[in-house]
Amino acid sequence: MAISDIPIFAMLRTRMQWHQERQRILAENVANADTPGYRPNDLVEPKFNLPPPGPGSGPGPLQLARTDPAHIAGSTAAPQFPSNSRLYQVRPAGNAVSLEDEMLKVAANQMDYQAATSLYSRSLGLIKTAIGRMG
Amino acid sequence: MDFLKSIAIAASGLRAQAGRMRVISENIANSDSVAQTPGGDPYRRRIPTFRSELDRSLEARVVALGQVRTDPGDFQIKYQPGHPAADAAGNVKYPNVNPLVEMTDMRDAQRSYEASINVIGATRRMITRTLDILRG
Repeated sequence: MAISDIPIFAMLRTRMQWHQERQRILAENVANADTPGYRPNDLVEPKFNLPPPGPGSGPGPLQLARTDPAHIAGSTAAPQFPSNSRLYQVRPAGNAVSLEDEMLKVAANQMDYQAATSLYSRSLGLIKTAIGRMG
Repeated sequence: MDFLKSIAIAASGLRAQAGRMRVISENIANSDSVAQTPGGDPYRRRIPTFRSELDRSLEARVVALGQVRTDPGDFQIKYQPGHPAADAAGNVKYPNVNPLVEMTDMRDAQRSYEASINVIGATRRMITRTLDILRG
């Protein structure tokens, strides 16, 4: 049995890959902080407590009732996933990168990554404990 | 490894900001460069531009220093009849460089440079944390 077959290691590995990808995108934002017309990107935080989107996975959003066939159908469908493309300000050159915001995200990304790697080490330690000290 | 890509992207930002600093220092150094001939045009302020390009090996949009343009603004004119570059009316054209604008631009470049450095530092610490798993 490979160590990546154990669910907690697989989960932590996915989490670490997510942080790695996010770091790449944040680096892209910071590098382009002075490029005219550039809009910053960010990854959407993975949510584990939300049911997966799709048909039959819940009651769905509320629909407005139409009392007359000539009425235009109102759409109240909320977006399924929150988008993280919030723009604080757009500068006259069309650039919307806020360096302070990006620095905060880089620091948060680093700390979360550190948490994931610490958990990984701890889990490895648990397995070592289970194996027991040989010799 | 993806972390090395992050560092490469941040390094492209460092390179672009360093090129911008080069143009700014050129402007400041030449803020008093007048023409060699009487009545001629002095040094014209240069403006660095940035463009974002897709790096196929990194699969990311890195930044590069684009074309360096010239500022079409008006020259400063000073009345100095004894100056070798003065025209028939005794006026000398001085470059359209405003030291205050250059200083502000320089601070901005410095700030962006530091931000890229921060990203590189954070990425390095993340790599170190990954290697720490090995040590257990």
